[in-house]
Amino acid sequence: MVRSSRAAWAPYLLVLPTLAFLGVFIVYPMVQAFLLGLTNPDTGRLGTAPVQQMISDLHFVPAVRDTIVITAIAIPLQLALGLAMAMLVQTRFAGHGIFLYLCAVPIGISDLAAGLIWLSIFTERGYLNALLFAAGRVAQPAPYLTYDQPGWLLAAVVLTEVWRATAIVMLILLSGLQLIPRDYLETAQVFGAGPWQTLRHVTLPLLRASLQTALVIRTILAFEVFAPVMMLTGRLLPVLAGESYLWYSLYRNPHVAAAYGTLILLLSGAVTWTYLRVLRPHPGEVAG
Amino acid sequence: MSDRQAVRLTRRQFIAAASALAGATAAIRLGRSPAFGAAPQEIVFTTDQLIPIQEQEWARNSLLSGFTKASGIPVRFIAEPDGPYVDRLTAEAKAGKSTISVTGALHGLYPILLSGGLVRDMAPLQKQLDAMKDRTFYKDLLAASHMGGTQVFIPWMQATYAFAATKSSLQYFPKGRNPMRMTYDDLLAWGRNLQQAGGQRRLGFPVGPNGLYGRFLHGYAYPSFTGAQVKRFKSPDAVAMWQYLRRLWGVTHPSSFTYEFMYEPLLSGEVLVAWDHTARLIPAVRQKPDDFVVLPSPAGPRGRSFISVIVGLSLTKNAPDVDGGTKLIEYLTRPSTQLVTLQGDGFFPVSPEVAKSATSGWVKVVADGVSAQAGAPDAHTALLPVGLGARTAEFVPIYTDAFQLIVIQGKNIQDVLNDQARKLDALYRAQNAVCPPPDPALTPCKLD
Repeated sequence: MVRSSRAAWAPYLLVLPTLAFLGVFIVYPMVQAFLLGLTNPDTGRLGTAPVQQMISDLHFVPAVRDTIVITAIAIPLQLALGLAMAMLVQTRFAGHGIFLYLCAVPIGISDLAAGLIWLSIFTERGYLNALLFAAGRVAQPAPYLTYDQPGWLLAAVVLTEVWRATAIVMLILLSGLQLIPRDYLETAQVFGAGPWQTLRHVTLPLLRASLQTALVIRTILAFEVFAPVMMLTGRLLPVLAGESYLWYSLYRNPHVAAAYGTLILLLSGAVTWTYLRVLRPHPGEVAG
Repeated sequence: MSDRQAVRLTRRQFIAAASALAGATAAIRLGRSPAFGAAPQEIVFTTDQLIPIQEQEWARNSLLSGFTKASGIPVRFIAEPDGPYVDRLTAEAKAGKSTISVTGALHGLYPILLSGGLVRDMAPLQKQLDAMKDRTFYKDLLAASHMGGTQVFIPWMQATYAFAATKSSLQYFPKGRNPMRMTYDDLLAWGRNLQQAGGQRRLGFPVGPNGLYGRFLHGYAYPSFTGAQVKRFKSPDAVAMWQYLRRLWGVTHPSSFTYEFMYEPLLSGEVLVAWDHTARLIPAVRQKPDDFVVLPSPAGPRGRSFISVIVGLSLTKNAPDVDGGTKLIEYLTRPSTQLVTLQGDGFFPVSPEVAKSATSGWVKVVADGVSAQAGAPDAHTALLPVGLGARTAEFVPIYTDAFQLIVIQGKNIQDVLNDQARKLDALYRAQNAVCPPPDPALTPCKLD
């Protein structure tokens, strides 16, 4: 009797520290931020004033649009590149260890530093122009990051994001690839499947769980990005997390900042839910 | 090893702070001076100035080390941007546990500190300093230190915003005109000449998110074109000013929206002429004093307006070490210390007693430009807005948003100004705040 009741309690006791940690450091601040974003600063009562202020700000619509555009372009690129790199490493070509380490370098670099690195490349007196000038391709350095070339701004941000975050996708997918038993691939070969067919019908379905993880992590982080974007584009390409930061630090309005935070949370939640639904295993399919 | 040392150090600091607190509490209970019978405790001094690493190093190793040497009191110096700076003071006040004794902030930030009840009335300390007879303070600075009947700070140092330019760019300055008496038309022509000469726009402004371009709009352009910062926000003069700013943006470096500290593009050669806070221009002038000149801000139809940046010192409301804090403020405002501050970091003195003749090298380059600005016959001073309390930070975005809409997005000037004017009017009405000089002292400030 005593034994079984202990056994019933044991799992809960074991997860208790984690739950307490999550409760204190994640759930509590989240609820607090949610309430802050719905508190009228003048009266101290609940209300939608901060949300209205957020929506009526001239940077709001561009911030929503640009965050989604950056995410929608960068994430598929990261996924495709990450998968290609992971499969390349998986072939264990000579020097794949060094390749892996080199690819993983950006993981160790803070996003602000990544922004600085790419700014020093794209700025008028930057490395790109120095290189082009030395190669005799340009007569004089041209500025790329300018307000009249929004396409360049977006391209620079996407490139920075891809450079910065493809490695983490690669690592997640690589570990997923390594979990796929070789028998499946050999079987596919025996039945005469080509590389594309193997990828489409064997590897990708078995990689589903890893793809899901990579997508969820990357999308959540993409909604939170702001330092590299701000380094490269100032506020010409406003993003949600950047607006939250500016409303807090520059305008000293924690309410609107929290409203932005809540919006990011809702967006991340919605997208995660979509991923989990769309990528769930079909009935009868072997889950990876 | 180093980790362990770090832990031990923190623990020691913690014990020191805790005992200081306990000592202070006990002393307050006994009605005694906290320094009585105890070894001198560390004073915590926070500021929103001197943030770049080199300036922090200078503050610790040159400015504050002199105080510690003379008084035996060690100082812990914390410099951080406005956001975390105010948060730290607020958090300590809310927690009812203060470690900070002395704080030094921008004059424009004091309304926030005052409305949060974070600082003390400095009038008694001002009396003590006046009694020492070795220093007086400029009258306009003392006037600025009074807010709503309270003296909220002791003037510490001052700065302004001006232009820095490479000497090579001066050959493109409009012929027959004097750069030390520059007008807004000269500036536009200069920018155009530079563009024609080199094929690229070489005039730069700090329009980045943390840049100070907003100050240029409300404190320089507006009063120079309309005679007021707030009152004539949507007047016909203002419309003419925005038309001018559109033309000026046409000769401004197209990457200006990423610039936050203008010494960076100045040193890289990306821009040749730049406007910014002197503290953000000085690193360039300091590195190459022979290559740069500092020029006054331009004059418009209504004179040459410039912002006088005042930084003040105050004791926090719950200062754990009032005696030590008082000593630190006395030391920092000594004329000899003010000279060290000028020569070491380019912040200008607040007392007429400081010998200005002692300047040379890069300090002279900066001082020449700044005195040409303040001493011009058509000069008038604009002060940062006060009285907006907790909503102070909403003031500048009204101007920078107008810039975004009018100049970058090309919206109709009068429509944008009418919209933004409504926000400005509502802000001043809600806070019942006075117009900032050079506007007439109306309360609440009402727009024409």
